[in-house]
Amino acid sequence: MSASTKEKSRPDTGQRTGVYVYGIVPGDVELNSVVHGVGNPPGEIRLVRSGDLAALVSQVDITKPLGTPEDLHAHEEILDATVIDAPVLPSRFGAVLTSDEAVANELLDANHDEFAAALQQLEGRVEYIVRGRYTEQAVLEEILSGNSRAARLADRIRGADPDATRELRIQLGEIVNNTVADKRQADTRLLVSAMKDHCAASVVRTATNELDAVYAAFLIEDDRVGELERVVTDLSDRWQGRVELTVRGPMAPYDFVGNPTEAGG
Amino acid sequence: MTIMQSGGSRGPSPSGLADVIETILDKGLVIDAYVRVSLVGIEVLTIDARVVIASVDTYLRFAEAVNRLDISQEKQGLPGLVGEMQESGARHKTKGMLDGATDKLKDFANGERERQGARRGGREVN
Repeated sequence: MSASTKEKSRPDTGQRTGVYVYGIVPGDVELNSVVHGVGNPPGEIRLVRSGDLAALVSQVDITKPLGTPEDLHAHEEILDATVIDAPVLPSRFGAVLTSDEAVANELLDANHDEFAAALQQLEGRVEYIVRGRYTEQAVLEEILSGNSRAARLADRIRGADPDATRELRIQLGEIVNNTVADKRQADTRLLVSAMKDHCAASVVRTATNELDAVYAAFLIEDDRVGELERVVTDLSDRWQGRVELTVRGPMAPYDFVGNPTEAGG
Repeated sequence: MTIMQSGGSRGPSPSGLADVIETILDKGLVIDAYVRVSLVGIEVLTIDARVVIASVDTYLRFAEAVNRLDISQEKQGLPGLVGEMQESGARHKTKGMLDGATDKLKDFANGERERQGARRGGREVN
C-alpha cells in the first residue's frame, strides 16, 4: 500500500509545540483520569473550556510527523470512550492549533452557535457501523447461475492457459465486479430501509473492498441499540452463508458531523 | 507499510487499523474549515488502505476465483452438502460477532471509559 506525506503551510514562528484537537464536547464534561493522546511521547489529554463548550486537546511536538498506528488508535479511542458519556463532535485526524487561546477563541467562541446546536442534536446518540462482506464462493455461484454470459466465460477459461485467456478473464472479472456492485447497491438499500425506523440518521459509506456487501453508518439513540442488533440478526439470518455482517460501535459520530446535509434530525 | 483489510475469514475485527483509518482520516469535523489564522502545519503520514476496486487486477482476481470455484465443485461433487455446512458456519460467526459488539458495550459500561475518556461531571450519579 502506498504511504504519502502531506504538509500544510507552517507559519515560520519557531514554535515547536502545538495543541492537537480531538473533538468538541459540552462544557460540563470532566476528565476523570490521566489519558494519553497522540505523539511520541504522547501528550496528556486536557480540556480547553470556553463558556458551555470545551475541546479535548493534548500538546504535540509539531516538528515530528503524526500518523503512526498508535496515533490513529489513540485519536479514535479517546473519542469513542467519550461518546459513551457525552456528545462529541469528533475532529478529523491531524488538526493542530497554535495555543489554548486559539482553541478557545478562534475555534470554540467563533463557531459557538454551530457547535452548540450540533452537540444538542447529538445528545444521547452514538454511531454504529454495519459492514457486510460477501462470502466469495456464495456470491460467485449466485452470479454464475444468474448470468449466462458469465457462466459461458467461466466454461471457456476453465483449465485454459491463463495468458491465452487473459482477455476472457478480464471480461468475466468485469461482469463479476459490476454484478457485485449492483448487488451491493440493492443489499445496502435493504439494510438502510430496514434501519429506517430505528435510527436518527444514516450514511452509506463508499465501498473500499471489492467484496463489500453493505457499508453504512447509523446514528442511534443509545437506548435503542437493541433495535439495531435485531435488524442485523434478521439480515444475518436472511443472508446466511452469503454475507458476513460485522457491527462496530458505539463510536463518536464521525459520519454525522462536518457536512450538514448528511446529518439528519 | 502493509495494511491488512479485516477480511471475512478472519472474523470480527472491531477496530482494525484499516477501519480506524477509513473513519478518522476521511470523516469527522474538518477543523481547517473553522479556524484559519492559528492552524499549525504538521506532517501527517497517511496510509492509503483502500483496495482499488474496478481495476484490471480486481477483474483477474475475480476470474481466478471463479476458476477455483469450478475446480472445487468438481472435486467435492457434493455442492449441496458443502453449501449447507458453510451456511451454518457463517451463522455461528455472525452470532459471535454480535455477542462481541455487546461485550464491548458492557466493557465500556463497566469502567473502560474511566480509563480512557472524558465523562460528563455534572451527570455522574455515583
